[in-house]
Amino acid sequence: MEVLHNLAFGFSHALTMQNLLFCAIGCTVGTFVGLLPGLGPLATISLLLPLTYSIPTGGALIMLAGIYYGAQYGDSVSAITMKIPHASSIVACIDGYAMTLKGKTGLALFTAGVSSFIGGTVAIVVLSLFAPMLGEVAFLFGPADYCALMLVGFVCVSFVTTGSLINGLAMCLIGVLLGQIGTDVNSGVPRFTFDLPFLAEGVGLVSIALGCFGIAEITKNLDNRDERTPFNGTINLIPTWAEFKRIIPSALRGSVIGSFLGILPGGGPVIAQFAAYAVDKKFSKYKDEIGSGAIEGVAGQAAADEAAARTSFIPLMSIGIPENAVMALMMAAFVIKGIQPGPNMIAGHPDLFWGLVASMWVGNCFLLILNVPLVRYWLSVFKIPYAVLFPSILFFCCIGTFSVNNNLDDIFITAVFGFIGYMFMRLDLDAAPLMLGFILGPMLEENFRRAMLLSRGSFGAFFTRPISGTLLSLIALFVLWQLVSFFLQARKGGKALEPAVAHEE
Amino acid sequence: MNDRNLLRGLFLIVVSLGFGLGSLRYSIGQFSHAGPGLFPLMVSCLLLVIGVVSVVRSRFVDPEHMTFNFRNIAIILGSLASFALVSEFVNVTAGIVAMVFLSAFSATTYSVARNIKISIGLFLVALAFHKLLGLNLVLY
Repeated sequence: MEVLHNLAFGFSHALTMQNLLFCAIGCTVGTFVGLLPGLGPLATISLLLPLTYSIPTGGALIMLAGIYYGAQYGDSVSAITMKIPHASSIVACIDGYAMTLKGKTGLALFTAGVSSFIGGTVAIVVLSLFAPMLGEVAFLFGPADYCALMLVGFVCVSFVTTGSLINGLAMCLIGVLLGQIGTDVNSGVPRFTFDLPFLAEGVGLVSIALGCFGIAEITKNLDNRDERTPFNGTINLIPTWAEFKRIIPSALRGSVIGSFLGILPGGGPVIAQFAAYAVDKKFSKYKDEIGSGAIEGVAGQAAADEAAARTSFIPLMSIGIPENAVMALMMAAFVIKGIQPGPNMIAGHPDLFWGLVASMWVGNCFLLILNVPLVRYWLSVFKIPYAVLFPSILFFCCIGTFSVNNNLDDIFITAVFGFIGYMFMRLDLDAAPLMLGFILGPMLEENFRRAMLLSRGSFGAFFTRPISGTLLSLIALFVLWQLVSFFLQARKGGKALEPAVAHEE
Repeated sequence: MNDRNLLRGLFLIVVSLGFGLGSLRYSIGQFSHAGPGLFPLMVSCLLLVIGVVSVVRSRFVDPEHMTFNFRNIAIILGSLASFALVSEFVNVTAGIVAMVFLSAFSATTYSVARNIKISIGLFLVALAFHKLLGLNLVLY
């Protein structure tokens, strides 16, 4: 009953005219930018984050959340119609695009839209029930436990996003080191600032995000010189009753899987959609058709994708630790707006928390309206030549950087990170773990120093406390498994030493 | 030498040494009372280990060729710099024009008419940001 009361309270905030407008703008702009080639949710949020600076806190968070799941949705449209995959839509490319080749684009888009709606709805129920509960568990966490939890996040994100633990961990560590630039809050000593005044407060998050994702992505696309063929097929959106009935069980399965995997560290949409697809392939009534353009191949993964996108807010809002790079960026947005996500957020800002949860369902409805009937208009985005798009994206990068401090010099820092991001790309180093490391770095240092102070310099606290001991044991087991599998493969003389896990972005 | 795996390892080593040696300039302190240099030093050491492992690992896997197109990245960075400089010394409108005309060199085709249209479109977007969101842009 309390949950219902809280949700009603949330809806009273989310359904104000102003917040409805922000939610609608977020979903629309997110879907639009998410459709553009090379721009996944992470790049979309980076690009649009500065637009929320002049908006009231509640509206800004609702708009950002709308941008996030709007971008996820936009991704699935581009994956189904043109096989342009992003992190959140890799699996949609398989059966979704196969359906397009069969002339069933409309059905695939309808399936993705309805399944995402179901997934999002289930996830909101999970979020409403579990976030406050997990928030109470978070009070049991000490500094050592927080450190261990962040390290688990690093390991999981490194593996899931890059497929190579050492490359991902390296990027996390580089992110942590970049987070060290600026004044040390404990001693007041400026670190790695080279006596440059603008570095005293550290490197701007927006500069790193836009440089590593926006600029680097544009340059990669220009290097590839891809000429994309616009989608010109016909779209018939109305399914038969028999087809509609096939969507529901698969979408419900995907919703449950996505809701669960979204909560785990390192989890989120990428891993959830693969898991849902695998489960459908094993247990669906039409499992033999999956892979060649089946409704189940689209429904399950779309529901899981959307559900995980929403439940990944749970660790952020209840413990205060983001579990993937997108959530790290969301956390930065919360902090910029003066809200510290964590166990105190629900009690301290119930209007923001429950308003955001309720707005997710409102956003779900907007997306259903936006994507299902209006999808043919969205597809006209693909008719814009890249020669027109990329100067526009560059302009948004410039405006985004400038708007943080009203300082044109910050654009030079973005340019430097654009070059660094391009180098990362060429060296096959994924920038997503770097963002997580950069945002969590200062928090990791603070908790590490506090834990060491409390234990009088002994590392024992990390192993004797039940939570941190368990989490560190999990890391040790995972690293051991990676080492053993590497040596076993090396002994077999296999050339494929990298684990075959999807690359993000 | 042009092996992506090897270059990646060397890059990580360079970054770790840069931050690691830099952190030695600050007080390290003790674990119980850490100085400002301790944490970055620890992280740099970990990164150094990963860098060395990457270099060693590159000897056991097939080399991958790394491509680096200096032209496009140079044009893109140049166009960003031109936007910042021209906006600083003239105004944002001129900055948009400079950025669009310069960045267009990295596209497959170059069209002055197209660049003018893009510039006008972006000017209108900037005007909307200025008027509606209150962004402090000196447009004219």
